[in-house]
Amino acid sequence: MALYNFKKITVVPSAKDFIDLTLSKTQRKTPTVIHKHYQIHRIRHFYMRKVKYTQQNYHDRLSQILTDFPKLDDIHPFYADLMNVLYDKDHYKLALGQINIAKNLIDNVGKDYVRLMKYGDSLYRCKQLKRAALGRMCTIIKRQKQSLEYLEQVRQHLSRLPTIDPNTRTLLLCGYPNVGKSSFINKVTRADVEVQPYAFTTKSLFVGHMDYKYLRWQVVDTPGILDHPLEDRNTIEMQAITALAHLRAAVLYVMDVSEQCGHSLEEQVELFKNIKPLFANKPLIIVANKCDVKRISELPEESQKIFEMFEAEGFSVIETSTLTEEGVIQVKTEACDRLLAHRVDMKMKGNKVNEVLNRLHLAMPTKRDNKERLPFIPEGAVVRKKRMEVDTPKRKSERDLELELGDDYILDLQKYWDLMNSSEKYDKIPEIWEGHNILDYIDPDIMRKLEELEKEEELREAAGEYDSESESEDEEMMEIRQLAKQIREKKKLKILQSKEKDTRGPRMPRTAKKASMEHAFVQRKVLEKEMTDLGLDMTNKDDAHYARRSRSVTRKRKRDESVPPTSVARSRSSSRTPRDVSGLRDEKMVKKVKTMAKKAQKKMNRMGRKGESDRHIFDLKPKHLLAGKRKSGKTQRR
Amino acid sequence: SIKMHEKRNTKQKNEEKTPKGAVPAYLLDREGQSRAKVLSNMIKQKRKEKAGKWEVPVPKVRAQGETEVLKVIRTGKRKKKAWKRMVTKVCFVGDGFTRKPPKYERFIRPMGLRFKKAHVTHPELKATFCLPILGVKKNPSSPLYTTLGVITKGTVIEVNVSELGLVTQGGKVIWGKYAQVTNNPENDGCINAVLLV
Repeated sequence: MALYNFKKITVVPSAKDFIDLTLSKTQRKTPTVIHKHYQIHRIRHFYMRKVKYTQQNYHDRLSQILTDFPKLDDIHPFYADLMNVLYDKDHYKLALGQINIAKNLIDNVGKDYVRLMKYGDSLYRCKQLKRAALGRMCTIIKRQKQSLEYLEQVRQHLSRLPTIDPNTRTLLLCGYPNVGKSSFINKVTRADVEVQPYAFTTKSLFVGHMDYKYLRWQVVDTPGILDHPLEDRNTIEMQAITALAHLRAAVLYVMDVSEQCGHSLEEQVELFKNIKPLFANKPLIIVANKCDVKRISELPEESQKIFEMFEAEGFSVIETSTLTEEGVIQVKTEACDRLLAHRVDMKMKGNKVNEVLNRLHLAMPTKRDNKERLPFIPEGAVVRKKRMEVDTPKRKSERDLELELGDDYILDLQKYWDLMNSSEKYDKIPEIWEGHNILDYIDPDIMRKLEELEKEEELREAAGEYDSESESEDEEMMEIRQLAKQIREKKKLKILQSKEKDTRGPRMPRTAKKASMEHAFVQRKVLEKEMTDLGLDMTNKDDAHYARRSRSVTRKRKRDESVPPTSVARSRSSSRTPRDVSGLRDEKMVKKVKTMAKKAQKKMNRMGRKGESDRHIFDLKPKHLLAGKRKSGKTQRR
Repeated sequence: SIKMHEKRNTKQKNEEKTPKGAVPAYLLDREGQSRAKVLSNMIKQKRKEKAGKWEVPVPKVRAQGETEVLKVIRTGKRKKKAWKRMVTKVCFVGDGFTRKPPKYERFIRPMGLRFKKAHVTHPELKATFCLPILGVKKNPSSPLYTTLGVITKGTVIEVNVSELGLVTQGGKVIWGKYAQVTNNPENDGCINAVLLV
């Protein structure tokens, strides 16, 4: 959620100004000199730049407007409603929507004309295209004249709205026009709201701030409300209604007892009843204003009954007079106290309480027997407390001394030493006396203590406290250590073996090795040997999976056996069918294939060709050799 | 003769010939007449037909030469072959248009210069609509351009006017009409045309 600052919305220029601004900016900020004889790509780039620059400018400015103006869904509902009342939500949204559309249209125009300009082949053509593009963009803005005007007015009004924090402690004044709401706020806060004898002097909401119990309070003054149904209310009254509806505040319903406002008491009570639903969940106080003119007790019986009815319903009625200032403070304190209590209640019911609850709740342990367990307060604390109350003079501290002496002050810690002979405090202590170092003899028992220490250390060492961190080794660790030793030995052997190999002598090529001895795979003999070394029994392993050959030892097949030459490999490593019989079903096919191969070979052998591709000339007269002239030399050879 | 028959003798009012002052009685109601030759209707019609079937808003257009409309594209390994041409003006290709294989296409119509819509003004209503183009009827410069679909000033194009909701006398809906282009589309980036009613 973007934080909106109503006072910092960018100025919305009028359509004409906007166009002038952008075009002159393009004129100033892009290069201006171009000639016909420049290269075409340079001309194109020159004009494309202008189109793009203008498009960019418009886009930026319009986006700025769109982001600065608050979205009615993102702000507090109080402000959303207020803006709806003042500026009409639909109109506002439409205006912003139009601006958005204009922005997109300008982007499209820019794109299209830049694309077209790529085909411009003369300066005139590019220039005309640029002119068309700029003209189109400006026409789009010209069409937005109404929206821009409206938004500018909204912006100006919005920046002048009073900053009402909807979440903090607020007192809301409401009532008929001319009952004394603005006078009240003038008295209680530093606000200076206009007070005049005609109705609807206050035409919008005003805020004042006051302090109470070290907290900041807002007091909101509303325009007067007349008594008619909601649909008939005009903008000014609707502002008051909005404030009532959305601000969680203590409501001060101001009534004019003397009926100087021009409306009778009954009318005021009627209004009260009509807007009562708005007072739900809010602490309410009836302020009977202008009591200097007429007190409640001076009123006729029926009117007094009205006030008694109010009291009966639980709304406190307080008489005030903003002129003589009586009762004003009382109203303030009562309203603030009730609001605070209300807010605490609300918070208790809310979710966030649990975090704070542990600090609020004092747990008392239940008594398990009748024994008195008083709180224990050490004596020193009691004494100190008493002293604090009596206010005895403190001991003079070093700091006080320092302040007193000023420049003459020397830190003298030796005066605190506790010696047998106090006159020796300031004696000088030598470092070496009769050939011995004084510091060695500070303690008479020092040698004894040293011996004791040394004995203790010996004991500790013997107990093994300083031994290294080797834990007791269990069987697992022993096994692992043994295996590690074996592995190390084997490794060394292998290294020695490989060193002994005679690599410089004649070596067999890899292909000559037997198929069963392919070194990528482990030989059976080697495998068995290694396993026996490690301790496994490998004596009767002829049936093992690795020992089975997937094909018979003899290469030649018997005639009547149609054993498939390639069997499904048990272990992939040791079965691979030779190339000339792979893919063939049986012996007959093998023979046929062989004869075919021989036949194909016959022709080539006769012609003396290596293979199929030998001796065939694809291109008898290649162009690159036979075409073209010679720079120098003759064409006898090519 | 026929010519004489065609030119009728009409009598026109002649201001000067009316004598001022006393006038003999038998001349009182007459005003000066002069004889003029007025062409008969038939002649007028015939001349119209000669001038052409259509009376267009842009009768005369500057002819576009081939060097102006078609740009030579050099191809080949040494860029020596010059048989390809690229259209430099705005053009229209139909819906189902697919290029010939690039190796064989002689006229290249770049996608950036292909337009599908035109801004058509109705001369009587004075209102402009953005209508899709159906095809190029005639380009005054050359029939080659007509087949290629090149749109320059003065070209007659056919547009889809179903948006206007015109209906014939018989009750059928008109959805195609001719319009003539009135601007230079390659300079303005858009096709402006006037409907031929």
